[in-house]
Amino acid sequence: MAHIWPIGGGKGGSGKSFLASSLGRLLAKAGKKTLLIDLDLGAANLHTMVDVPYPEKCFSDFITKKINLLEDTVLTTPFPNLSLISGAHDSLDIANLPYEKKIKTLKAISKLQYEYIVLDLGAGTAFNTLDFFLASRNGIFITTPEPTSIENVYRLMRSIYLRRIRHYFSVTDFKALEKKVKQHLGDDSFNKPEHIVAVIKKEYPEKYALIKKDFNSFSFKLILNQLRKQDNVDLGLQICKIIKKHLGISVDFAGNIAYDEHVHDAICQRVCFLDRYPHTRAANDLRELNKKIGDSFGEQLMLNYL
Amino acid sequence: MQKDFAQLNYYEMLDIKPDATALEIRGAYNSALQMYQSDSLVSYSFFSQKERKEILAHLEKSYSTLINEKEREIYDNELIRLGVIQATEKKAAVKGPVSIFDINRQKDTFGMMKANNAELKAKISRNQRIREIISQQEIRGADLKEIRSELGVAIETIHQQTKIRLDYLNWIEDDKIEKLPAAVFIKGFIKSYLKCLCIEPADEITTRYMNYPGRKN
Repeated sequence: MAHIWPIGGGKGGSGKSFLASSLGRLLAKAGKKTLLIDLDLGAANLHTMVDVPYPEKCFSDFITKKINLLEDTVLTTPFPNLSLISGAHDSLDIANLPYEKKIKTLKAISKLQYEYIVLDLGAGTAFNTLDFFLASRNGIFITTPEPTSIENVYRLMRSIYLRRIRHYFSVTDFKALEKKVKQHLGDDSFNKPEHIVAVIKKEYPEKYALIKKDFNSFSFKLILNQLRKQDNVDLGLQICKIIKKHLGISVDFAGNIAYDEHVHDAICQRVCFLDRYPHTRAANDLRELNKKIGDSFGEQLMLNYL
Repeated sequence: MQKDFAQLNYYEMLDIKPDATALEIRGAYNSALQMYQSDSLVSYSFFSQKERKEILAHLEKSYSTLINEKEREIYDNELIRLGVIQATEKKAAVKGPVSIFDINRQKDTFGMMKANNAELKAKISRNQRIREIISQQEIRGADLKEIRSELGVAIETIHQQTKIRLDYLNWIEDDKIEKLPAAVFIKGFIKSYLKCLCIEPADEITTRYMNYPGRKN
């Protein structure tokens, strides 16, 4: 089964697509059969990053049933071993993917025959994004060292956490749980999944055990992008520490990517950053990250959508 | 999933072990402040204002308790009574500064030698053969070696004390003059060799060694 790496970050401009294209490029260069899927539905631009300016097919052809199989929407890129499912000419309402279409997509993704599949997700915490992020247990969070970006990545983490808890309950059970949480902790506590879990522990001990086991099997990663010289290099580690202590989710800090003006240049020139500027600090950081991430994700863990 | 912050014990709040030193406690408190302070980027938006205030109050309380030896002892005893930490965990050896160099070894040989000096002097005065050698007009390496073996001092000991290279010492004793460095160095070596063995008068014997005809050729 393919290794699936979903890449998410709460805020736009934090480097999700850049990271996805770079990781895809490095994996392909190492001889791995790699597929990039642009799941930033409604705001897709991964094709521009990998030099496919005019994609003939796209993801929404699969949704509108113009193309029956997801593997037929795959485009080749100028780079060997690297393929792309583009979202370039998606229908304009693609962002509001209905539930059954989403499940269909997730099932189709899990059946694709690739060594690595990198999912480039959109900003924000829409259900689609959360569910695509939870397609694999090897999700990668990316953020920049700015309050806005960090705020949103925390939100994303909490939303994912809550979304995963939600999978364990039926609609009515979840409503009942919601009520109990409000009873126990007051009205505003519902946005904090850690509070909900505390209530679950009390009220549904058997479900608590399941959820705990489930979260222990996740291996999330955090990457800090656009780190300037004056920024705190330990920020990532501290973020992971605080998440572990207060949310109870263990997120591994994978590393920093240095801020680099050349990234902007490469994107404007529409060439691959790693090829154009292979000896910059950011390029080094990316190569190191790729190695580290590849080593630390052991087996692929897929959630049960099948 | 995690315990509520307020339910953690002071050590867990600061992420330290129960046997942490005052320095470690201070460091942990500083880094915790870096994470939880209201202007911290790390925890920005993570906590509500009220939560942050509570956490900071907890941190301050744990710091002020642990940094105060008396209060810490009372708190530790309470934890031990509740079975949260083990008494053995607490009783870890007092951490003192750890020396980078093995000062002790040096000291020992030095002290030992000092104690030995008197002994050596006594031996020299008792030993007929040594006195004979010392009174010779010509002193060679072989004579030095004989004195040393009469006194029962290993060549390695001399090397350790004088810091003269072992091969130089060997060449001096074997009279391999051609291998040795310039005379000015040899003079110093011989002097410290003699001082190390408490042979007196060192200066004079050194002069005699330097002047014997075999050496000059």
